[in-house]
Amino acid sequence: MTIDLILNGALQGLILSIIAYAIMIPFRFLDFADLTSEGTYPLGGAICATCITAGMSLLEAIFISVLAAGIIGISTALVHLKFKVNTMLAGIILSTMAYSINLRIMGKPNISLFNCNTLFSNDIIGNISILVVIITLLILPLALFLRADFGLRFRAVGLNPDFAKKQGVSIEKYTVFGLFLAGSLAGLAGGLMVQIQNYMDIGMGVGIIIHGLASLMIGEAIIGNNTLNKQLLAPFVGALVYQQIQGIVISFGLAPSDLKFFTGSVVLIVLAMQRQRVSKSA
Amino acid sequence: MGLTSLKTLRLWGDVMLQIKNIVKSFPGVFEKVLKGVDLSLGKGEFCVVIGANGSGKSTLMKIIGGEYTADSGSITRSGLVSQVVQDVSKGTIPTLTLLENFALSQMRYKKPRFSSYKRYKNEAVRIMKTAGIGLEKYINQPLGSLSGGQRQIVATMMAINSGGQILLLDEHTSALDPKMQSTLMKYTAKSIKEKNLTALMITHKMDDAIKYGDRLIMLNKGRIVMDIKGQEKTKLSIQDLLEKFHKFEDQDILENKNDN
Repeated sequence: MTIDLILNGALQGLILSIIAYAIMIPFRFLDFADLTSEGTYPLGGAICATCITAGMSLLEAIFISVLAAGIIGISTALVHLKFKVNTMLAGIILSTMAYSINLRIMGKPNISLFNCNTLFSNDIIGNISILVVIITLLILPLALFLRADFGLRFRAVGLNPDFAKKQGVSIEKYTVFGLFLAGSLAGLAGGLMVQIQNYMDIGMGVGIIIHGLASLMIGEAIIGNNTLNKQLLAPFVGALVYQQIQGIVISFGLAPSDLKFFTGSVVLIVLAMQRQRVSKSA
Repeated sequence: MGLTSLKTLRLWGDVMLQIKNIVKSFPGVFEKVLKGVDLSLGKGEFCVVIGANGSGKSTLMKIIGGEYTADSGSITRSGLVSQVVQDVSKGTIPTLTLLENFALSQMRYKKPRFSSYKRYKNEAVRIMKTAGIGLEKYINQPLGSLSGGQRQIVATMMAINSGGQILLLDEHTSALDPKMQSTLMKYTAKSIKEKNLTALMITHKMDDAIKYGDRLIMLNKGRIVMDIKGQEKTKLSIQDLLEKFHKFEDQDILENKNDN
């Protein structure tokens, strides 16, 4: 029973880590606080579920969800760049709009995938392995990218946009690219999640942004983010730890409905701790 | 003496930077900041700009650098532009390592590639050694861990070696202590000559202006009021320069009094 709980936590944690990456990439590399995952995660789920029930192959279904979610990410970037709308507000606007899109795509509030073939089976260890492989295939190229010319210029955008501009970096292009990346990752997470749980519900992913943020914060608090490798590992470690913490507090009797309050508190505590550390070292 | 005059006759053949009748005003400010500036710089020419605060020096520099657009007039740049700004935190990224900062500046005028920026390491070490103050030891350290003076030297080296042929220096030594100022100034002047760069430098230090500039221009209220080069420049003493400088300042004070 307990081992089941831990394994289930790991499975959920792996999906959450993809969301944490989707939050981390624009936030840490572009200094772009992006909340679009709240809309792109369920969008990925909605499209993937709809495509699978329509008889498309799994690869096609995933590809379309990733692409569509990436386009929503680009939209957030463009709303911010072209209309000078605050990054968070742009994300809220787009994720609110995505909700209606999701309902349109699904045509009904929920879709069951119990009679369909999905990437995942009842074998939880097998499922975990599939996710680990997928995440490795995503993060390794990302690590290489960030060390190449493009990646260094990408990081410069968030660290010092004025300097980046003087070095000939197009802030707009790199921001659009980063938000596309973030959107597609969140869409992928949604597409994988519906295949794990075998259904899609329009309410999926409400508050996912705060869970992703909590994962990122916890990961950075545990292993730090002062080097590129640590920064890249933080969302992964953070999401796994955070999901286990959730499991523990629920097994201690916390009502699942109180979980969001708990998560919010965790984020606040980590932020306060970071602030303390900064003011001490200054 | 003879050599200098010969050089000035022969040099600055190719025009690298041509500015014609630049006018610039800012919204809400009645008086124009630049009221028709003409300037032409040849290849390898090191021109120093002096002038009181508010004379339009930095605005001119920002227009040449492309940060501001002029209201009217034209600029022709026959080469790529690199610049060093006064505030080192704006001219570098302190959380990135020296190598990463250097690599970014090297990519300025090159096509980005899908290979690691670490390939710039040897080049970075070689260039850092030329300053002769042991910067190469810090190649993998965050730039923020170096002193302000060291960082400004790195920023200057980055600009000089980024592949630009026109170098803009906006009071790049002014935030440093006197010893660092002189180290950086010597290095800058030496590199400009070695690389045959066309340079425009703003400074408030008259001794540097006289010592290093091939040409001196003074801006006052948005106009070039003095332009000295060649033999005339070599004869110029610091006293002469200060006198000229103060003459315009005194005029301003008189005019202001009359206005009141």
